[in-house]
This record gives sequence, structure tokens and C-alpha cells, in this order.
Amino acid sequence: MENATPALFFAGIDIGSTMSKAVVVDAQGTMRGYVVGPTGAEHRRRANKVMEDVLRTAGITLDQVAYIISTGYGRVNVPFADKQVTELTCHAKGVASLFPEVRTAIDIGGQDAKVLKIKNGRLTDFLTNDKCAAGTGRFLEVAAETLGLGLNEMGRISLQSDTPVKINSLCTIFAQQEIISRLSEGQPLTDILAGVYIAVTTRVVKLARQIKVEPPVVFTGGVAKNSGMVKAMEVVLGIPVLIPQEPLITGALGAAILARDEAFKLVQDGHYKSEKKQLSEAYIEFTEKNERKM
Amino acid sequence: MVTATTKGLSRAHEIYANRGRRMRELRKSGKKIIGYICLYPPVEIITAMGMVPFRIFGDMSEPITAADRVSTTVVCPFLRSIIDLGIKGKFDFLDGAVGAHTCDIGMTTIIAWRDYIKDAPFTHLIDVPHTDHAPAVDYFEGQINFFKKHIEELAGEKLDQDKLKQACQLHNKQRKLVRELYDLRKSDPPKLTSMENLEVMVSLFSLPVEEGNELLEEVIKDVKERSIKSSQKKARLMVWGPVFDNTSLYELIESSGADVVVDDTCVGTRAFWADVKAPYDLHALAQRYLVDIKCPRTYRDTQHQETERDYDKDLDSRFSYIKKAVTDWHVNGVILQSVKYCDTHGYEVPNLRHYLDTLGIPSIYIEHDYSERSLAPIKTRVEAFVETLG
Repeated sequence: MENATPALFFAGIDIGSTMSKAVVVDAQGTMRGYVVGPTGAEHRRRANKVMEDVLRTAGITLDQVAYIISTGYGRVNVPFADKQVTELTCHAKGVASLFPEVRTAIDIGGQDAKVLKIKNGRLTDFLTNDKCAAGTGRFLEVAAETLGLGLNEMGRISLQSDTPVKINSLCTIFAQQEIISRLSEGQPLTDILAGVYIAVTTRVVKLARQIKVEPPVVFTGGVAKNSGMVKAMEVVLGIPVLIPQEPLITGALGAAILARDEAFKLVQDGHYKSEKKQLSEAYIEFTEKNERKM
Repeated sequence: MVTATTKGLSRAHEIYANRGRRMRELRKSGKKIIGYICLYPPVEIITAMGMVPFRIFGDMSEPITAADRVSTTVVCPFLRSIIDLGIKGKFDFLDGAVGAHTCDIGMTTIIAWRDYIKDAPFTHLIDVPHTDHAPAVDYFEGQINFFKKHIEELAGEKLDQDKLKQACQLHNKQRKLVRELYDLRKSDPPKLTSMENLEVMVSLFSLPVEEGNELLEEVIKDVKERSIKSSQKKARLMVWGPVFDNTSLYELIESSGADVVVDDTCVGTRAFWADVKAPYDLHALAQRYLVDIKCPRTYRDTQHQETERDYDKDLDSRFSYIKKAVTDWHVNGVILQSVKYCDTHGYEVPNLRHYLDTLGIPSIYIEHDYSERSLAPIKTRVEAFVETLG
């Protein structure tokens, strides 16, 4: 099959609400490069930039990319993608490629949280919170802003606490007020921060329990990079969680692996060449248009 | 994929887009138009009295701005939309409005209508018990009798038994034709999209029964002649839940790569699956509405005389009609949708999902607030659900 394939790379682009991620894999499905950057307001320009960056990182040219799948909140804004797939399917695929035994994946992004049930590498059930920012990265950002701390710093400080303060409000804004009143009561900062992580985690675990948490559990998303959050997750779940080396890119990785599967299927069906041509032309056209605008 | 739009379907499309037009014409010609809320007011009586039944729906594209004054915001947004439209004068072609205790808010909606909506000075509330026990059916028959007497006063004449029988037969004919239309979606791909189907269903609730039957015959004839190409869609879905009177949800699902081939909602099968049986009297009506309509607002407690409860048997007696539809329409996934704050459907969800699990049919539960803008966040979940089926 590989002899029939002139280009041997496949890309996944995940335009999230806060961060954009891109991954390139080779014909074996091995990751050959990835990039992560803020999404910002202009999804289309961002998609273009993240694609250029990942090609540079992997040391390849667009010609060598056979198939691109876009995913995430902004997946419709990737004009050069061959196909769009939801972030739920892509995350499941990406997580299962790293942890083949995974049964539950908890992903907390900038503005949403999702819980995936996976069996034999396939998504079987899922839940998402899309009603408000409670239980998402945004909650932590609000807390960090309130306390004038950086996100990483906040995680580190929280680890010193063994007696987290109880934050009762589920609403991000009310919780912010609660943090302020705990501060004015003179509660130690370490305990308040630990309490913030427990509050976010409790919210997400509550969601996860609706579809039953089964080990092994993999924790992904930007929030999984935070040490305070990981500790809280293990405390609330009562079991250890697995964290990928780069927890932000599982969606893009899954998209890239799905791109490879899809392209191979096209080769098998004999549609491969025409697809490739369309892809390159669309990309060039898009780049030119964008340059004129600028 | 389905091909050209036919004459019958384009007529349904027009009626769907302007539900009140035919009603206004009929009213000008001297007909009395009686609006009704939910499925439980017996339309046969309205038809038999020479009046025209008109199912009152909300409007998902109209923001609720006038109803807050008279109702709280934490109740069924569909019913709130009805009150909102009523206050705004959108139902000025009605002579009367009939509500039923389908649920608590269903009842308070008709009371709010009486108190706050100027149009349709005739209002009537039908109490509906919540089980299908035999004494409940007798009680409901009494409530139908109250309604009959009240509408006789409005008409200034008595209900004629023969006319009731004719009306029952006309409505039964409509039900039979609807079932025939649904049969045309058993093929792969279905000969009719769920959007087209919904437009026909909404049209039936916006026309006198005879005109609805003519429309159905025309649509069925046209759709039967359609040639169907092979399907590109990945899944054949069923949509379950409370009232959905707008094509937007079906568009969202069908654009996610699935065909919706059958439903269990009150703007579809639920409204048309059960017939009124001979001798077409008030008791037969009570039986049809309270026992034979399968809506979770009535608990179908078929084992109430047994002392031992068997959970699986109980589920089967409540949901086996869904199993039949899943088999007959070759369904491989079910979307359970509900409007926010609907206790009636909300409590049914865990049991129904469990039942579907035992059948090996994947399902997903989605909730919306009966507005077009609330559907956008649902799209990713529907797409992901379809991807899991592919």
C-alpha cells in the first residue's frame, strides 16, 4: 500500500476555543512534529499559521501531506482540511493511540470539559458540559486573575496544602466572590488554591460519573498540565490518572491518525490522486487570498 | 438522497411557513376555529361540531419577551412560547382555546391564556389523569363529557352521535394515511426526509381533517413515485421526546451525516398511531387518548395488579412499541431530545436509555431550550454520536 503513496505524512489540526494545535504523523502513525499556539479571534488565519508552523517543525512541505483532518470548536474554519471530525472522536482516537487500554478519558479545555468512554480504541459514549465555564480552564483563569497569580505558580502553591478550603459555588463568578471572602477571613492561600482545584475537579467528576468512570483513566487538555489540578483529580476520583507527555495535543494527534486511516482508505478505493490535487490547490488559493487581504 | 420536491410537499412547505392562513380564510367564511394545546383534547368532538381544530404550537425563532410577565422562566419554554405568542396576538384567528392537564405547566398555560390572552374568549381545561388504570379511563370520560357540554354551549347545538362517528372515521383515516407515509421511510435511504415529513405533520395540524387527508393522499402518491439513489448517510436514527414542531433539529441531525427515519414525538407517530375504536363514543375517545397514545405523561402501569415488580418486564411494557419501531425502520441509533424543564420526559430518560442499552441500540440525550440558538451547541454532540455509529 505504501508504494502507491507518494506522500507519506498526515496532519491533524485542532482549533480549540483557547488554543490551536497541529500534529503531523507519518505512514506508521508516529508523531513527527507538533505545535501549540493561542487561537485568538481569527480562526482562519490561525489555522493557516499553525499548519505552516507544524510543517516547519516536522521539516516537511505541504506537498508531502496527503490528508488533513480538522477538529475542535473551530474545525469549520480550516479551509484546506479534507475532512472535519468532531473533537470527541479525535480525542478518543488520540488518547487510545497513546494508552491502548484506556477506558475513560477526561479532557478539560479552556471553555469546555468532556468525558469519553473508550473501548478497544473506539469512542462508545461521551458527555460534554457546554452550558457554562464551571469545571473548565476558564474557572482556573478567573481564580488566577483574582489572586494575581500565574497558572503554573498557582498549581505549585496549592500542592503545599493538605486541608483544602471548601468552595461551594458551582458558578464561576460566585466562586470568584467566594475566593475573595475566604481571603478576607484570613484562610491561607495554599488551602484556598487547593480548594479551587477540588471545586473544578468535583464538577467534572460529577459529569464523568453519569457515564461511569472505569480505569484506566487518562486526563488530557491544557488543564492536565497543571500539577495542582492533577493532584485534585486523583484525590476526587480516588484512583491515579495517566497524563500524556503533551496533554494538549491528543485531539490533533487523533485527527492526524484518522487522516492517515482515511487517506489509506482512499488509496484502497482508488480516489487518492484527485483528493491530493484538490487539497494543494485549495491551500495555495487560500494563502494567496489571505496575503492580498493583509 | 431524496430527489425533486413534489407538488404535495411544496404545498405542505407553504402551510408550514404560514400556519394561520387557511384558518383565517375559514374563519372569514363563518367557521369557528378551536385551538388546542398538546395531544389530549379530543379533536373528533371539535370536528363533529362543525368547527376546525387547530393545534397550537410555539415559535422557536421568536424570542420570548412578553411571557415573563405572566409565567416564571423555569418552566417548559415551549409552553412559554405559546403564551408569549398569544399575548402578542399571533393567534387572533382562534375562537377558542382548549388545554388539558397533560402536565402541570400544560394546565397552567390554558389558565394563563384565559387570564391574559384577549383572543379566543372561549377557553376550556380538560383534566387528564396520569395512569391508564380502568377507573382513570372512566374519570377521563367524564372530563370529555364536560368538554362536550361546554362546546355545545359555544355552538348553540347538541353533539350529534352520527357526526361524532363520521369525525372519528375521518381522523382515523388521517392516522392510517400518516402511517402509510411513515412506511415510505423504511427504505434505505428513506423516500422522504425528516424535514419534509415534519412539514407535512405540522400542516395536518393546520388544516381541517378532510383537507389534511387530501394533502396526505397527494404527498403519498408523489413520494411513492420518487426514485431513490443509494444512501451516503452513516446512520438511521430515531428521534424521541416531547413536541418538536420545527425542522431545525432535523436539519441539524441530517447535516451530521444521518437519516432520521422515524420518531416518537407528538408531532409525529405519537399523534397518529392510535385509532378511535367502535362504537366511537366518549368512552372510546377516553380509551384512545388516555391509554392508546404513548406519551410519558401517562404512566402505563400494566402490572399494577401484581404485587411483585419485575423491572425488565416493566420496561418492556412501557417501551416495547419503541423496540418495534427500531426493528421496523432499521434504526441503529436513537436521539433522545427534550426541552429544558420537562420533568415528564426527563424522568423517562434513564429507564428508556437502559432499555435501549439492553437492545444494543446506542442512544444520546440532548436538551434544548426551544430556541433556534440553543441548538448550535448540540451540533458537535450529534455529529460525534453519528461518528460513533459509522
